[in-house]
Amino acid sequence: MTIRTRWNAARTRRWLRTCAPVGEEPLLVGKPTIYVYGGQVRIGNHLRLASRPVASHLVAGPRAVLHIGNNVSIGYGAAIAAHQHVHIGDGTRIGPFVIIMDTNFHGASGDQSIQHSCRPVTIGAGCRIGSRVTITRGVTIGDGAEILAGSVVSSTIPPGVCAAGGRARIIGRAGDMASRWDSAAAVLPDVLMASLDLESPPDLDSSPIPAHLLTYVRMQGVLRAIEDRFGLALDPAFAHEIETFADIAAAVQHALRERQDTGGL
Amino acid sequence: MTLKENVLRRWARLKEGPAWLTSSLQARFWLRGCDQVGANTRTFWRPNIENQGRIVIGARVRLNSNWAPIELVSGPHGVIDIGDGVYINYGSMISAHLRVQIGSNVMVGNYCIVADTETPGIGDPPGGPSIEPRPVEIGDGAWLAARVTVLPGSRIGAGAVIAAGSVVAGDIPPGHLAGGIPARILRAG
Repeated sequence: MTIRTRWNAARTRRWLRTCAPVGEEPLLVGKPTIYVYGGQVRIGNHLRLASRPVASHLVAGPRAVLHIGNNVSIGYGAAIAAHQHVHIGDGTRIGPFVIIMDTNFHGASGDQSIQHSCRPVTIGAGCRIGSRVTITRGVTIGDGAEILAGSVVSSTIPPGVCAAGGRARIIGRAGDMASRWDSAAAVLPDVLMASLDLESPPDLDSSPIPAHLLTYVRMQGVLRAIEDRFGLALDPAFAHEIETFADIAAAVQHALRERQDTGGL
Repeated sequence: MTLKENVLRRWARLKEGPAWLTSSLQARFWLRGCDQVGANTRTFWRPNIENQGRIVIGARVRLNSNWAPIELVSGPHGVIDIGDGVYINYGSMISAHLRVQIGSNVMVGNYCIVADTETPGIGDPPGGPSIEPRPVEIGDGAWLAARVTVLPGSRIGAGAVIAAGSVVAGDIPPGHLAGGIPARILRAG
């Protein structure tokens, strides 16, 4: 063990002295700001926390628990504040400038007034959270979900999906590069799953849609979801003509192509 | 250059004061971790350089670390290539685990993130799934405004302008103004 590694280990111990327990081999890049007043910051093994060029800060208020699992890496400039409970699962990767808070605003040290407005935040295992994402109070993000850069998450994100947007919406499956931002064909099954409350994303083939789903009201819901996601206003009368998921896919593709011909958004 | 322009330029340098006189000397010291630094490159306060791969900085580059330091990080196989006449403002992070290429005369605003992986600077934690870095390219004369995030695999064309706070995902054609999350073309030419 060289002098340098011993010096780094000692410095890391000192910087994390208010956290307990701290797992094996935390790696800090730069000095984070850690405020613990009356709460706990629990850190798992192999934490990676960057604080350069902008310092990250972790806050645990009175009786609050900020739990960070094993193998978590957090980018610089992060603001993670627990006034009740924030849980970050194992193997989750968090980009720079992320804000995770279980309250709507930071209080000053010792401020009790915010405690009634807290709702716990839970981030599952193996998530990927992009840069400058804001996660508001009461949010649960499922295991393996992916939040793209610049999103604001204010509702529950199910496991294994990819979400993005100023109010984060599901836009595809996690890890699927083709589904990023724009590729409609990859996204459509998830939009259909969400709007029809299905168990799994449907296949876009020409087998008929089950009769109990094929009502005018539900199909209007599907069209609204498509308008919401893609900014496409399909003809409401089209709801009568839908028989298969392939019909919907064809209509969306046709409308997207027309929009491109007229110069995009 | 006319005599008047020349005088005005020298007067502007004088007004910058001692920072201008010392910044070229400071750059030699503070950029000593880089593999190659061009002539007349200047730094204002200290940037953080972590070079495990290769960092090449061109001539007449200005790095401003005045309020928050600039961070240049290259992984074991990473290459950062910064062209001539680039200006990078404070708090920006440039991280390469594969390749980040910035053309000449590019302006980068404050708190920008230009990285070819999704966790810039720090690598992947052990045991987790590793994500392939994808190279980033910024063309000559492009301008990134403040707080722009350039995602892995993006290419920004020469002379393009990216509006403040945007997230660039994919290709931006040369000479266009783009903005938003994700960045879309707002104005052509």
